[in-house]
Amino acid sequence: MNVRKGTRGLLGAVAMASVLALSLTGCRGGAQSSGGGTAASPGITDTSITLGITTPLSGATAGPGTCTVAGAKAYFGAKNAEGGIKFGDGKTRKVDIKTYDDAYDPQKSLSNFQQMVSDNVFAEGIGLGTPTNRAFREAAISQKVPQVLVMTGDPIFSDQKQSPWQLGLVPAYQNEGGAFGKLLASSGGTHKVAILSQNDDYGKGYVSGFKDAIKGASNISVVGEQTYEATDTSVDAQITQLAATGADVFFNAMSITPLTIATLQKAQQIGWKPSWFLPSNTSSPTAILAPGGASAYPGIYSVAFSKAPQSPEFAKDQDVVKFLSDLKQYGNYQGMPAFPHCMWSYIAGATLDQAFQKMTDPTRDSFMKALRSIKGFNAPLMLQGTTVDTTMDGQPAISSVLVQKYNGKGYATAQKFG
Amino acid sequence: METFIQLVVDGLSTGSIYAALALAIVLVNQATGLINFAQGGLAVLSAYIAYAFVQAGLPLLAAVLLAIVLSFCLGALVERFLMRRFERGDPDTAVVVTIGLLTLVTGIVAVLWGYNNLQFPSLFPLSSVHVLGAVVSVRSLATTVTIVAIMALLQLLFLRTKLGLALRAVADNPASSALSGLPVGRLLMVGWGLAAALGAVAGALVGPQLTLTPGMLDGALVYALAAVILGGLDSPIGAVAAAWGIGVLENLVAVYVPLIGHDLKIAVPFALIFVILLLRPQGLFGRKVVVRV
Repeated sequence: MNVRKGTRGLLGAVAMASVLALSLTGCRGGAQSSGGGTAASPGITDTSITLGITTPLSGATAGPGTCTVAGAKAYFGAKNAEGGIKFGDGKTRKVDIKTYDDAYDPQKSLSNFQQMVSDNVFAEGIGLGTPTNRAFREAAISQKVPQVLVMTGDPIFSDQKQSPWQLGLVPAYQNEGGAFGKLLASSGGTHKVAILSQNDDYGKGYVSGFKDAIKGASNISVVGEQTYEATDTSVDAQITQLAATGADVFFNAMSITPLTIATLQKAQQIGWKPSWFLPSNTSSPTAILAPGGASAYPGIYSVAFSKAPQSPEFAKDQDVVKFLSDLKQYGNYQGMPAFPHCMWSYIAGATLDQAFQKMTDPTRDSFMKALRSIKGFNAPLMLQGTTVDTTMDGQPAISSVLVQKYNGKGYATAQKFG
Repeated sequence: METFIQLVVDGLSTGSIYAALALAIVLVNQATGLINFAQGGLAVLSAYIAYAFVQAGLPLLAAVLLAIVLSFCLGALVERFLMRRFERGDPDTAVVVTIGLLTLVTGIVAVLWGYNNLQFPSLFPLSSVHVLGAVVSVRSLATTVTIVAIMALLQLLFLRTKLGLALRAVADNPASSALSGLPVGRLLMVGWGLAAALGAVAGALVGPQLTLTPGMLDGALVYALAAVILGGLDSPIGAVAAAWGIGVLENLVAVYVPLIGHDLKIAVPFALIFVILLLRPQGLFGRKVVVRV
């Protein structure tokens, strides 16, 4: 009978699914650390420690995503080649990195995390993306797996009460917007600002940080605000509208590479030449500013905490030279990094290295304690005047940024606006 | 007023991108009776092929022409060895196959070239000219002119040439066409080949503006499909007119209707489709199919 057969099939499917779900949740008790004494957590032996990275390796965000893996592999590849890292418990271990592609899809990053747990990963980290990292934040907390130095400007990851097993790496969007607002407010001149922002937490974070910083500065007025969707293929209409406001400063909180190039081209075509502010992840001199013809503008400002290898002033810098050779040899990444995420993940590697040296037990608890005790650490590739400080609750590992001005090739630190 | 004219001009230039894809969709539909969802993906692949030739040191124009020729062959091969099995069957199945082809081609491009945005050199300078107080870049102007020329050629092909007539006959009734001695299989290959060649033109035109990424035409494809439905599946002129209409209307609505704004403007073409198809089921420029009983 058809009906009966259908029902049987359905029941079978439900049963299968239940078994699967059970096996995913309940049957892993053995792998958990007992938390007492020095019973080692999963993913760490006397000679090795395993890190997992879930990040977009395919899809639209794969460019920066590939960089998050390349920089980390470059740092630890070089360390492993030297024999490993001496941990706080006296043992020397090599670092294994397992990578998982989530294509910037939250569903996928969650299943990647489950996969990592069954692959016995000691800690997860360094992956890029706000929605993807958010997708398994709660799972990581309930399984007590560290999810650290993640590349998202979402402040929730650095709030110890809400996220006891997490820590963000890069400055929050608000920090970046605020740094630029401060510079503008202290410029002494009168400025009219036009704002274009991505219609999500990314754009909103930048704008709120900027507005908080210019609050009470009577010399700064916002004369036009527009938004766009991350899926848009053109923002010409918004640029035309904002150009009509006659603003002399353009705050473009945009995360999409081709759109950023297009806006740089469009504004100069229609004869609007303000000073620009661009976020740290869409201000690459080679990938964005050069094709966008950015030299036509009086100034392009961005914020940074890491040295730009493309910049002539760092061409002979020791950190940069070593980084580029590590990136090629161990990170499997040829040529100049097209995205700053390559440098950020290298810095994340150095920060983890500090934590490893401080952790006295081979446990996740001890690791988290060690990770949260780093202060005043100027990691390789970090700009003079910026440091890693993981001791401040509510702030990511790096919260200090310097406003930079484009000099035609790379960036140099801007002391003053104008 | 200046802003208004600028918005119209910009709308026409984005519309031209949608139009290029829409024309290729019309072409495949005229030749095979199918809607090809993979059109955008194939155009992206063609753009990457042109890019590879440029990297190999060919001059840009030669690289683009070579990519157009190769795309023609590729389109014909896809028809012969993949689509041929589905053309006579259920049209729904064929559509799903083209969607599968889209994801496959995108994946292949990603494997070969990665996901970084690659700079594709422009055939036309980035300088601009002033028209009625609006600024038009030479690139958009040339893109638009190219699209219009292709549209005119297609219109001539379908309505004034034996090949066009044969293509339409095969799409309309493959069995009768075969009985009248038309080489049905070859004609189908030509239809797909031409569409792929057209896609290569579209890819080379938009590549510099969007920068090459495997998914660069995904958004444009949605608009192109809207334009095809609006303009009529069998009318090149209709497809282009509708694509321009969508581009311009979107811009104007986003700026002058605060309720909709930039965040909801994507709904405009689809609301338009709904209204127009209620009034004219065959599309703005489509021909009504009358069946004598």
